[in-house]
Amino acid sequence: MAIEIVVPRLGWSMEEGIFGEWLKQPGEEVVPGDMLFVLEGEKAAQEVESFDGGVLSIPAGAPQPGDTVQVGQLLGYLLAADETPPAELPARPAAAATAEPAVAGPAVRQLARELNVDLGQVCGTGGGGRVSAADVRLAAEENEPAAAALSRDKSRGKAISPRARRVARELEIDWTEIVGTGRTGRIRESDIRAAASQLSAPRGGQRGGGQRADHDRSNRISPLRKTIAQRMSAAAAETAAVTLHTEVDATNLVNLRGQFRAASDAQEGVPGYNDILVKLTALALGRHPDLQSQWREGALWVPGDVHIAIGIDTDQGLLAPVIRDVPARSLRQLAVETRRLAERARAGALTVDEMQGGTFTISNLGNYGVDAFTPIINLPQSAILGVGRIRQLPVVVGEQVLPRFVVSLSLTFDHRVHDGGPAARFLHTLREFIEQPGPWLID
Amino acid sequence: MASTTERQLDKTTATDLYRRMQVIRQCEEQLAKSHQRGLIHGACHTYVGEEAIASAVCAHLNADDVVFSTHRGHGHALAKGMPPRELVAELYGRETGCSQGRGGSMHLFKPEIGMMGTSGIVAPCILQACGGGYSFKILKTDQVAVAFFGDGAVNNGAFHEGLNMASIWNLPVLLVCENNQFATEVPFAYSSGIPDVGRRAANYGIPGHELDGNNVLKIYEVAGQAIERARRGEGATLIECKTYRTRAHAEGMGDFSYRTRDDVAEWKTRCPIQRLRDHLLQEGIVGADDLDAIEAEVRETIAEAHRFGEESAYPSAESVTRHVYCEQPAPPRSPILNQNPLATATDAREISYVEAGHEALSEEMRRNPHIFVMGEGIGKRGGNFNTTMGLYDLYGPERLCDTPICERGFVGLGGGAAMTGSRPVIDFMFADFIMDAVGELVNQIAKIQYMSSGRIKMPILLRGCIGIGHSAATHHSGNYYPLYAHFPGFRVVVPSTPFDAKGLMKRALNCDDPVMFLEHRELLQVKGTVPDEEYEIEFGKAVIAREGTAVTVVALARMIHESLAVAESLAGEGISVEVIDPRTVSPLDTDTVLQSVHKTGRLLIVDETFGPYSLGAEVAARVADDAFDDLDAPIRRLNGAFTPTPYSPTLEQAVVPTREAIREAIQTLVAE
Ligand SMILES: Cc1ncc(C[n+]2csc(CCOP(=O)(O)OP(=O)(O)O)c2C)c(N)n1
Ligand SMILES: [Mg+2]
Repeated sequence: MAIEIVVPRLGWSMEEGIFGEWLKQPGEEVVPGDMLFVLEGEKAAQEVESFDGGVLSIPAGAPQPGDTVQVGQLLGYLLAADETPPAELPARPAAAATAEPAVAGPAVRQLARELNVDLGQVCGTGGGGRVSAADVRLAAEENEPAAAALSRDKSRGKAISPRARRVARELEIDWTEIVGTGRTGRIRESDIRAAASQLSAPRGGQRGGGQRADHDRSNRISPLRKTIAQRMSAAAAETAAVTLHTEVDATNLVNLRGQFRAASDAQEGVPGYNDILVKLTALALGRHPDLQSQWREGALWVPGDVHIAIGIDTDQGLLAPVIRDVPARSLRQLAVETRRLAERARAGALTVDEMQGGTFTISNLGNYGVDAFTPIINLPQSAILGVGRIRQLPVVVGEQVLPRFVVSLSLTFDHRVHDGGPAARFLHTLREFIEQPGPWLID
Repeated sequence: MASTTERQLDKTTATDLYRRMQVIRQCEEQLAKSHQRGLIHGACHTYVGEEAIASAVCAHLNADDVVFSTHRGHGHALAKGMPPRELVAELYGRETGCSQGRGGSMHLFKPEIGMMGTSGIVAPCILQACGGGYSFKILKTDQVAVAFFGDGAVNNGAFHEGLNMASIWNLPVLLVCENNQFATEVPFAYSSGIPDVGRRAANYGIPGHELDGNNVLKIYEVAGQAIERARRGEGATLIECKTYRTRAHAEGMGDFSYRTRDDVAEWKTRCPIQRLRDHLLQEGIVGADDLDAIEAEVRETIAEAHRFGEESAYPSAESVTRHVYCEQPAPPRSPILNQNPLATATDAREISYVEAGHEALSEEMRRNPHIFVMGEGIGKRGGNFNTTMGLYDLYGPERLCDTPICERGFVGLGGGAAMTGSRPVIDFMFADFIMDAVGELVNQIAKIQYMSSGRIKMPILLRGCIGIGHSAATHHSGNYYPLYAHFPGFRVVVPSTPFDAKGLMKRALNCDDPVMFLEHRELLQVKGTVPDEEYEIEFGKAVIAREGTAVTVVALARMIHESLAVAESLAGEGISVEVIDPRTVSPLDTDTVLQSVHKTGRLLIVDETFGPYSLGAEVAARVADDAFDDLDAPIRRLNGAFTPTPYSPTLEQAVVPTREAIREAIQTLVAE
């Protein structure tokens, strides 16, 4: 069997060296103990001994003198008489796979979740590319500078000890209103307790309410609420949002949906209005791909696929899971997927993956009796469609006034990224699809 | 006296020597090849050309004789009986290796057959072998200890200190110098004032030999006599074997910048294995077929060892911190008593701090005949600080052994003794003095349990004084406990009261980990209550020296007493101070500190020694990590000045935290 000749490690920590030259010719007989080739390590060029015997075979593509070679890299073979060399030179040993998920400690992961930072997008500055808390904060600020600045502002100039901060949280005291008595004015535990006892001092027989009326409530801000707050204010502050409204005749849509319903015996799997709208929107986006552009590192990045995030109202707050590859899914598959995601959202079981990577968002408030509204862009996307209630209105068709179903669409887009014309053209396409939905839904 | 000359050699011995040398040679050749193929992850120093020495010496050894060796130790391990597969697997980094993957080429352990370790540090093996020899005196056996070392080791202090100790205490040791004429690339002819090693023995009063290191039969003969001598209690022998390594210093290293190809080629013709073979054939002692059969059989063994190594699993990463400390600590011999029940008693027995330690030592020495004490003036004189007063009369000079002034030597010896069955107490008087022995402490004593995967224990107690006071000046005032606590493997004990000194000393004398027992000199005469009954205090259990609510003070040794005095006076001002004494710096009881900070919200660490990287730094970091939300103020530290300790009283006072400084620090902290 062919014996491989590989690059050895010379010295303590060599990883690569420079191939010098062969000391034997191809086809020449090598005996154990012969010097076989010259390799330049960390210190000097050195002759490398062969521990094996055989006929030297140097495959095509083997390193040439002067080439940098990796420790362990194959240089050639020693063959038995009459043995043929292996077919080809195997690829160099690949460096250990580096395309791993970002390395980050638990505290940093937690922080990233809280600040809604996608760790995969963060460039780690720690050892081995490890992502630090500072990296996450920086990324969060880059994502949402306004929100970050906002949260910094609030406590700027106020020092509070960690213990006092903890006690304030426990006693539900807003410490930003308190004057500290510590050296340098730091708020200390005693300050919080003093404030708490003032608030809870009996006043008109009430306890615990303080200046607040006793039917008021103060709820802890959940991490999700914080995230939503940050994202919303970032979007509000960062984008140049413009909303276009239009009313679309949805009569055929309603008919179609009625047919779906009539044809199916179980509720299970009947596509809803939203499913149809998601599908039609995705098709319209296919015609206007630029509407998905995202502002990224000074360039406009246009996603090649269409992944649509759908707003879902849950007890915890608004969540926007993503339906992937919408154009590739049949309407029935879409319906199943939407239902699955909605259930998971309501159960609080969505994974980060399921909420990431959307290229466009649809927010449908039709079920809540809302006619029209101005949705806020879901960063880093650049446009969002708001869908209102489908309602019956008297509409002039030709010469007559007829009862028609109408739905209003509100497209908010980031004017930094798009101008009004393209946005309006997208909306126009979507209108056409909705008014004549049948042909677009056959696959 | 019977001697094995080349002519009288019997067939069994001859084939045994031949087999040992073949095993070493073939195994080394496999390892060199494996190194080239990337199977060996680190350094690999082969023994090719020097096989005669280990083979000839080890042929005389029993399994309970011990060998301490060097970085070039594969041959010693194999000759002592280590199966090649365990050596190969170790170099391949596998869990089936002799050190379970913790050691590699330079850290080979198999205490079960007396292979007490190879070492990546040149020369300590000499001291450790002396320790083995000392153990065998204490244990009253006829075992011997052997050190193998290179010519590089003989210009190192360990050689000098070791030979001297071996001589004056008549130790059953064999010191084998493998003079291969180079230390890495430095010729022995350059680094030694005289060309031979063997004759140096005369200066120490022990026999010395200068042998042809490639003549296995000659070495076999001389080593046999030396070992018999040692067994008879007649003391140590130095044997120099002049030889040559015919491969590079380490695999992958260049070889011809300091010697020529011709030199190497010429020495290859003096191959000790070929030489024995020729001799055996010539004299008709063993036939060629028999020798060939041995070679073939060894070839199969080595091939199998290689397969075994390659097929063995790598150790699991979770095991990485196993064996830093003894995994199955011996149960305490006396009841555990972590709190002094007499703390507030008024009519209880009071003794001094130094008396408390003495009581612990004498109780344990009475119980355990394997305990011996070494130090300067600890014999008849009873110790500079009366630490061993009267014990010499009870236990004699072997168990209370006065030493020459060779701290590195007797600390290194202590390590070797602890590895081989006795329990040394090294009384070094002042902690400053063992700075010469830090290599032995940090590189050997603290690491052996880990490197040997817990198969060798390190029951050694090292005690002596620390602390600033009474113008002792800078060579008699060091504290050093942060230094030792930094390293995995040590227990670092710093008692502040007689009660603690006794209980912790008793624990230390029943513990299988190395203990640095550091006694503040200014506390030696402090008196305190100590129960009549025997007891031990666990390591890693802090004591709350005073309870309080406003601020936590963590202090140690003398600073405990100073902090308590300040706490007492501040109580009058309405500031309630909690004082915590960790008692052991490693392990450090952070739980007690965290609980206290949870209560008080404020933390001050008062520590006599330097601030950077100190106890305070450690406690502060842990509290900041684990109790951040409990802190109502920044953590504060009060440390000795960052300067060597000066002599003049006015200067000396300025380097230690004073009561005034402690008081002020507490007041400021409360106002934070
Ligand atoms: C205390 C110490 N200093 C330096 C080294 C680096 N070193 C490793 S081997 C070696 C040469 C040792 O020469 P020698 O004792 O003659 O043994 P040989 O390698 O020749 O067998 C040196 C300097 C070391 N391991 N330990
Ligand atoms: Mg040498």
